[in-house]
Amino acid sequence: MHSDADSNPSPLLAVDNLTLRFSSASGNVVDGVSFSVSPGETLCIVGESGCGKSVTALSLMGLLPMPPAQITAGSAMFDGKDLLRMPRREMAAIRGNRMAMIFQEPMTSLNPAYRIGDQIAEVVLRHRPVTRKQARARALEMLDRVKIPAAVKRLDDYPHQLSGGMRQRVMIAMALANDPALLIADEPTTALDVTIQAQILQLIRTLQEETGTALIMITHDLGVVAEVGDRVAVMYAGRIVEQGSVDDVFIDPQHPYTLGLMSSIPSLSKREGRLTTIPGMVPTVDTMPPGCRFAPRCPFAGAECKAAVPPLTDLSPGHAAACIRAPLEAEAHFDGAVA
Amino acid sequence: MLSYILRRLAIAIPTLILVSMFIFTLQKILPGDPALALAGEERDAAALEFIREKYKLNDPIYEQYLAWAGGALKGDLGISLRTNQPVTELIGQKLPVTIQLAVMAIIIAFIIGIPMGVLSAVKKGTVFDYIANIVALSGLSIPNFWLGIMLILLVSVNLGWLPASGYVSPFIDPLRSLETMIMPAFVLGTALAATLMRHTRSAMLGVLRADYVRTARSKGLGETVVVIKHAFRNALLPIVTMTALLFGELLAGAVLTEQIFTIPGFGKLIVDAVFTRDYAVVQGVVLCTAVGYLLINLVADIVYFLLNPRMRSVL
Repeated sequence: MHSDADSNPSPLLAVDNLTLRFSSASGNVVDGVSFSVSPGETLCIVGESGCGKSVTALSLMGLLPMPPAQITAGSAMFDGKDLLRMPRREMAAIRGNRMAMIFQEPMTSLNPAYRIGDQIAEVVLRHRPVTRKQARARALEMLDRVKIPAAVKRLDDYPHQLSGGMRQRVMIAMALANDPALLIADEPTTALDVTIQAQILQLIRTLQEETGTALIMITHDLGVVAEVGDRVAVMYAGRIVEQGSVDDVFIDPQHPYTLGLMSSIPSLSKREGRLTTIPGMVPTVDTMPPGCRFAPRCPFAGAECKAAVPPLTDLSPGHAAACIRAPLEAEAHFDGAVA
Repeated sequence: MLSYILRRLAIAIPTLILVSMFIFTLQKILPGDPALALAGEERDAAALEFIREKYKLNDPIYEQYLAWAGGALKGDLGISLRTNQPVTELIGQKLPVTIQLAVMAIIIAFIIGIPMGVLSAVKKGTVFDYIANIVALSGLSIPNFWLGIMLILLVSVNLGWLPASGYVSPFIDPLRSLETMIMPAFVLGTALAATLMRHTRSAMLGVLRADYVRTARSKGLGETVVVIKHAFRNALLPIVTMTALLFGELLAGAVLTEQIFTIPGFGKLIVDAVFTRDYAVVQGVVLCTAVGYLLINLVADIVYFLLNPRMRSVL
């Protein structure tokens, strides 16, 4: 479908100005979010909990309950069609097929009443003209690929017989069973033990390389971004505040919030002093400040920051930040904000 | 599986012993002398003494209990003081009638209550949900006897479609049996449907929010498959428990409905026995009801066990 991807990488998914709200709240939960993902690429969306990153992902999958959620503007072009305006039936034909998703809670994301082999085979049967036997063979193949030991025996296990890490492997097997062009992973390692986290990340990366699927990785963990990301979009209070290649953003962060996030990572080299935190709290949907939503917590903020929403502006090719102070001076850091 | 059933049965035995002791002593404490009831107009002391002697009413209570319990173990629940028929025979006649009524009522409750509950959970907050809830509340509020009388007036008296009362065994004439039982079963069933609908609705609301239902949607499955296969399957467990409770209630609780439709069932047997102080019958009937309850709950446990893979591996 994207045979010209190598010469001219046209995006697989292009989200433009996605804006959505919940009927109970006065403000937008996601406010004018735009990003794109090319075939085979990994985009990380990073931000604190409540910044709208999961809601963004769910809205792309058509999994947000509407109402109460309501998409008020924007488009999300995937395979040349707008996901946000797609009839229910057409959307269902894409879900689990051309695009798939894995979730944060492996413990509760599998149906406790059915064998895992059947749960994987179900998604194959849904989207492919195969027999039950073929679907089961595919399920077995997928369990092997996500490195579940003794896969033949595990096929007939129920979810409660597996550990959290194993269940997340099953979720990955299920999501990749139909070779999707796009995989959305919503904090896939957050609920797991640290040692298992690394294994699962490694597995996702390996499988992505093997299959060439594009990946949107949603996380609050900059470590995960550094591990798997090609590009990163930093979200704050429903908006993307900075976007660029992982290298650019890590080496030269241009939004004060990104800077704050970086300073919050404990580092081995700077052992002296206290851990830096960003003062204040993420505003709730009902208390969104006018202008830049980060301004109340920003050490660089001035009156003009509260006047108007700063647009996401390109600073260098592929690197953009939504701050009127950008580009920040080279020596800018977050010291003024030590809690 | 078999060991599980045996274990459940083992737990049931002490329960049964306790229940039997309880009903036996309770009855002795209650006011009213069966000898007096039996003697009728004869208040002659010698006659009363003869009756007491004949029915061993003068023996110490534990001896009376042991004699009765021993008999019960052998399938002998004594003889009705009033009709001189063996109690087991009386129960054998009346119980199938009530079981038929209960089964038909449960089927009607299922047909109405479960789809309504599922739909109103899926369509939560819509007009359908509100109407279904109002109907359910009305079902719970309308007394059975009133609905029964109204149905008789409408369907039997005015329209003449169905017989107002009577009973025919399904083994003699199945169609006629259905005709006589459908109205009382409907009266009982609609009341249960309301309860069942409310429980189904809340169970469904719980599972529809579950992560695995979101997973099912993310697989691109159709809404019907998501609701029935992934959600309802997991909502079944509380529904099974509820059904067992309702069925148990029906065994003893169809009294009023049986009276209105003059069905010679279990409920009528209990009421008549209590009014005439027919000890042996009351004890037999209550014991039989207790056994029925335990059996139904055992069946519910087995169904639960079959439905829930987590339980299967624990055992």
